[in-house]
Amino acid sequence: MSALSSQVLEEIKELPAKYPQPRSAVMPALDLAQEELGHLTPEAMSEVAVALQLDPGYVEGVATFYSLFHLEPTGKHRFYVCTNLSCMLRGANEIVAHVKQSIGVTHAEQVSADGLFSYEEVECLGACEFAPMMRLDHKYHYDLTTERVDQLITERRAPTPLTPTLSPGGERERKPRAPRKKKADG
Amino acid sequence: MAERRGSFGDQPQHLLYESKAGGYTALRKALFDMKPVDLTNEVKTSGLRGRGGAGFATGVKWSFINRDAPGPKYVVVNADESEPGTAKDRYILENSPHMVVEGILIAAYAVGANQAWVYIRGEYDEPSRMLTEAIDEARAKGYIGPQPMGKDYPLDIRLYRGHGAYICGEETALLESLEGKRAQPRSRPPFPAVKGAWGRPTLLNNVETLATVPWIINNGGAAYAKLGTDKSPGTRLLTVSGNVRKPGVYEVEIGQTFRHVIMELAGGPPEGRKVKVFWPGGSSAPVLPESMLDVTTDAEALAAARSMAGSGGVIVMDDTHCVVRAAHRLLKFYAYESCGKCTPCRVGGDWAVRTYERILANQGSQVELDTLQRVSDGLQNGRCLCGLGDSAGWVIDSTLRHFREEYEDHALRHECNVGAVPANA
Ligand SMILES: Cc1cc2nc3c(=O)[nH]c(=O)nc-3n(C[C@H](O)[C@H](O)[C@H](O)COP(=O)(O)O)c2cc1C
Ligand code: FES
Repeated sequence: MSALSSQVLEEIKELPAKYPQPRSAVMPALDLAQEELGHLTPEAMSEVAVALQLDPGYVEGVATFYSLFHLEPTGKHRFYVCTNLSCMLRGANEIVAHVKQSIGVTHAEQVSADGLFSYEEVECLGACEFAPMMRLDHKYHYDLTTERVDQLITERRAPTPLTPTLSPGGERERKPRAPRKKKADG
Repeated sequence: MAERRGSFGDQPQHLLYESKAGGYTALRKALFDMKPVDLTNEVKTSGLRGRGGAGFATGVKWSFINRDAPGPKYVVVNADESEPGTAKDRYILENSPHMVVEGILIAAYAVGANQAWVYIRGEYDEPSRMLTEAIDEARAKGYIGPQPMGKDYPLDIRLYRGHGAYICGEETALLESLEGKRAQPRSRPPFPAVKGAWGRPTLLNNVETLATVPWIINNGGAAYAKLGTDKSPGTRLLTVSGNVRKPGVYEVEIGQTFRHVIMELAGGPPEGRKVKVFWPGGSSAPVLPESMLDVTTDAEALAAARSMAGSGGVIVMDDTHCVVRAAHRLLKFYAYESCGKCTPCRVGGDWAVRTYERILANQGSQVELDTLQRVSDGLQNGRCLCGLGDSAGWVIDSTLRHFREEYEDHALRHECNVGAVPANA
C-alpha cells in the first residue's frame, strides 16, 4: 500500500511537463502530497521522489527548507500567529499565550487532545496594518482579541458543516476533488 | 473587494488607482503605438525605481535584457512580500490585481519575453485568488494568449506558490526556489538579466514596481518624473503599522516627511504616548529616533540619515516599548530566516540572539555590548552573498547608535526603564 493515493501520484507525474524544467514540480508535488495526508511522511516524500525521478534525499531537503511543509502531524486547524514586530507591538504575544492555553498545548509540535488544533508562531504575514493577526484555514484573521480567538475555536469545535471539509492541518480541502483544471497556477 | 485600511485608491488623484479592470489602455498603446525600446525608454524617463527594497532604476534594469537574444526569456514577478512591516503588495494584489497584470504584460513585451511567472508567497491565499481571477479575466478578454489584442506576440502569465521562507524575496534565492531547489542566493555575476530563471535572461521586478508601469505608459514618463523628488520620483505605497491610531497602506508622493506620514496620515501614537522610534523602510532599514521625524521619504534623504527607503514598511514604536526587546525580536527573525549558506549570517544571527537573551535575563555586562557591536560589524559591508546579513547587522547597529542608554540600562544596570514590557518577548 502506498502512502499516496494513485490519483495523487498520477497528478504528480503530470506536473514536470508544466514547467520549463521538471525539477520545478517538486514543491507543487509536495503540496499535493501534504494536501492528501495532512503532513509529509517519509514514505510520502519517497513516493514523490520516485514519481518525479528525483533523489529522496533531495526531496526531503526541499521539504525541510520551507516552513509551510509540515513533517509532523498538525491539528486539523492550525493557528499561524504572527509575532513579528508590528504584531508584537499590538499584543501578539498575549494572543499566542491565549491560543496555547485554549487549545491545551504548550509548544508548536503538539496537537490538541481532540486532534482539532495546533499552533505555530510565524514571521510577518504581510498584513501588519491589521495587527495582531494570524492565518487559519487559508484565511487571514485580523485585529485579534482573546474573545475573537475564543470565537474561532468555538466555531471549529461545533459540528458545523464547515469543519468536515477541511483536511488535517487545515491545508486545503479534503478529497475527493476533480483533477486540477488548467489555470494560471496549473 | 478585500478589507482595506489606508488611503490607496480612495482619492482619484492617486496614481495607482487609475488603471482598473477593463482598461488595459496602456497595454494597447504599448502593443500597437510603441516599439519595445520606446517602452523601456519611457520607464527610464519616468525615473521609477524598484519598490522591492533595493531601489534600482527600473528602466535601466529593463535595458539590461538583450531583447534579440535567441531563445526564451522570462519576466519573474516578486510577490513574495515578507519584509516585516510591509503589506503593500498584498494590498495591491487584493484591490487592483489588473494593474499588476497589465504592468507584467507591458514589461514582458518590452524585454522580449513571452512568459511571465509570479512567485507569490504561499500564505497569500486571497491575493493569489484575486490575481488568478484577474489573469483569467484578462485571458477571457483576449489580453493574454497567443495573440493578445490581436497582436502576433504571445503573452502568458502563470503563478508559482512559495512555501514560507523570507529569503525567497531575495531575487536569486527566488529563482532557485522557482527552479525547485532550496532557496539559497546565487553569487553574481551572472546577473538574472543574463542568466536567470532556468538559465535564461530574466527580468525580475516587484509587484508595486510593475503596477506603476501602466500609468507611466498612459501618461508618459515625463509626467511621472514631475511627481516626488528629482532623484526619487513618483508616489509609493507606505505600510504604516505598529503603535499608530490609523495603521494602513498609504499612497504618498515621495518627499513627504515621516512626520506627515506617521502623525497625520496614520494619526500618530495612541493617546498619551509618544513616538520613540520608527523603521522607515521595513525591519531591514536602520531605525530613526523620534527626533528625526522630519526626514523625508526619498531614498536620498534616508541615506543621509543613515537609513534607507527599503520596502516602504514604516513600523512605529511608542515610548511604552523597549528597544532592546524589539531588536531581540528582529534578530530572532533574521537568525531563523538565514538560509545558512554564508557563515557570518548563519553564525552571527544566532550569536546575536544568544547575546540579547543574556542581556534580557539580566546577565549582561560590557562584554555583551561589545559582542553585539562586533557581530553587527561582521554581518555588514558585503560579507554575505545577499542583504539578509546586512539587515540583521543594521538592526543591532542602528538601535545601539540611537539608544545606547537603553542598552546600558539592560546590560550594565540590569534594569528596564520603559513602561510596558511586552509579555514573553
Ligand atoms: C533578504 C532579502 C529579502 C527581499 N525580499 C523581497 C521581497 O519580499 N519582495 C521584493 O519585491 N523584493 C525583495 N527583495 C529585493 C529583491 O532582491 C529585488 O531587489 C527586487 O525584487 C527587485 O525588484 P524591483 O527592482 O522592482 O524592486 C529582498 C532582498 C533581500 C536581500
Ligand atoms: S508583523 Fe504581523 S503581519 Fe506583519
